[in-house]
Amino acid sequence: MTELYLPMFIMFAIAAGICAVMFLGGQYLGPKNPTPEKRLPFECGNDTSGTRGVRLSVKFYLTAILFVVFDIEAVFIYPWAALFKGLGWPGFMTMLAFIVALLVALAYCWKKGALEWES
Amino acid sequence: MTFWFGLSPILVVGLGTLLLMLAEAFGKSPNSANPSDAGSGRSGELALGAAVVLLVGAAFSIGVWMVGPENLEGLEATRPYLVMDRFTVFFCFVLSLGGAFAALLAGGYLPEHDIDRSEFFPLLLLSTVGAMTLVAAGDMLSLFVALETMSLGVYCMVGLRRSPRAAEAALKYFLLGSFAAALLLFGAVLLYGATAHTDLVGIGQAIKTIGQPGSTVPVAPVLLGLTLTLVGLTFKISAVPFHMWTPDAYEGAPTPATSFMAVAVKAAAFAILLRVLVVAFGDDRLTSWGTGWPPALATLALLSMTVANVVAGRQSSVKRMLAYSSIAHAGYALVGVVATMRSADGQASVLFYLLTYTVSTVGAFGALIYCGSRGAEATSYEDLAGIAKRHPAAALAFSLFLLSLAGLPPTAGFFGKLYVFRAAFDAELYVLAVVGLLNSLVGAYYYLRVMVFMYMREPAPGAQPAVPMKSAFVSSALVLAAVLVFALGIAPGWSLDMAGAAKIVVSAK
Repeated sequence: MTELYLPMFIMFAIAAGICAVMFLGGQYLGPKNPTPEKRLPFECGNDTSGTRGVRLSVKFYLTAILFVVFDIEAVFIYPWAALFKGLGWPGFMTMLAFIVALLVALAYCWKKGALEWES
Repeated sequence: MTFWFGLSPILVVGLGTLLLMLAEAFGKSPNSANPSDAGSGRSGELALGAAVVLLVGAAFSIGVWMVGPENLEGLEATRPYLVMDRFTVFFCFVLSLGGAFAALLAGGYLPEHDIDRSEFFPLLLLSTVGAMTLVAAGDMLSLFVALETMSLGVYCMVGLRRSPRAAEAALKYFLLGSFAAALLLFGAVLLYGATAHTDLVGIGQAIKTIGQPGSTVPVAPVLLGLTLTLVGLTFKISAVPFHMWTPDAYEGAPTPATSFMAVAVKAAAFAILLRVLVVAFGDDRLTSWGTGWPPALATLALLSMTVANVVAGRQSSVKRMLAYSSIAHAGYALVGVVATMRSADGQASVLFYLLTYTVSTVGAFGALIYCGSRGAEATSYEDLAGIAKRHPAAALAFSLFLLSLAGLPPTAGFFGKLYVFRAAFDAELYVLAVVGLLNSLVGAYYYLRVMVFMYMREPAPGAQPAVPMKSAFVSSALVLAAVLVFALGIAPGWSLDMAGAAKIVVSAK
């Protein structure tokens, strides 16, 4: 156990040491000449504008959540497809039940207007 | 066929959820043409639908119980992910009953208080399905999925009212709930790492091999995993010190959602706590006082009873008092859980206690709902002043449920407490039993205080007294709960026998 992981820990220690030396070295040895320009937050060379938080429409959130939900559910279908022959009818029926439940959810979202972008 | 019948208590409610979702979305709202408000103004019919689905689910539970899940062929196929034993069926009944009560209460409460969001009912059913699968879970994976299914619905129900307080309650509950779920998951991971099993039976057997020659199961991750699992689950039963979210969440939520949280969520969490402790951590060394979980849970029980009772007496809001009272009741039930270490009756006493607690608590919240009406929800003691004169039936019902919560005969609560404390005495947990008894006396103070306000006080001059609502839903729920409180209090034998038959027995392999 120890022999197996010891080299890894040594590597971690060396990595942490190098980082510490670089940061502390820059902090204490480097020359400092601050100007107002230099103290600005870096924003790809553009002047900074606006406040920190940008308000996004809640519509994005809803779409993202729906995407995650249906996307993850679709992932469940892949392993079933890969083992389709082996699982046979019981597997098919189970997947059918799953997809019906999914369809109900889709119908619900649709009817409730969750898929409308302009409302 | 027997397979489907065996799963029917869960399947019926699951199918009902899907149908109710469609009914809610595709129905026509009388007051809004906006498709996203299709459920608006239809709380009544949807509540009826939800209650019918849940009561049919309860009927199927009774049916499966009569036949006996052990006699149904092919039902083992779902193990270990879903374990349909008598324990599960018992709780399926309790949970569907608790859910049906919440649906009935919501049918009266939501329209009365202008919370016109009928999403409540599909969410309620979905949570109940989650709670049932949680009770049936015999594997850490299905346990976690079921726990989240149950919780997500409840988070939404808590935030149903569009007010800052409800939002705070929902957010608090959601964040702390997520932390607890993460801790539980971490515990499950450690247990899997140590024992190479996610199913509870496998974990239990692997733990039994500790100390035997050739065992590869390390002790430290098992103990850490046990601790984290217990923290995750005791959060859901809101035992002190994991109770911080409870008063805020209970107070901010619409009262029917509060009753569902106090009843179904708590019962399901207790059920899975029992199953995990008995099946996975039932090893002799872990159930002994010196090296196992009993002292930890006993501490939680002592803290829950004492802290909650002391704080409950100082509340000015009745709803908040009931929230603290539910924490105290979690403490009493934990006494029974600790008693499972030595007493054969421990499990049965917890099961019976949860049944009595369910009917009494649902009744108390229902009576509180009943005492308020539009724009004037009864929340404080002053709101209830003199209600006995204006509406004797409401006051009488409220008193009955409070007496049951306080544990006075001939109500259900008396026998619930009696059996829990007797199990504690059998297990030689004298300190726990005595502290529990003393706490019951302290608890009687704040329950009786409500009755004092109802019967002996007059509303302050100029104050607007609460006017009881008129709702067939709420009154039918109250009548049903009152009948059950009396039935369990006068003839506790049959349900106690059921609780005894429902307990989990780990086959000695």
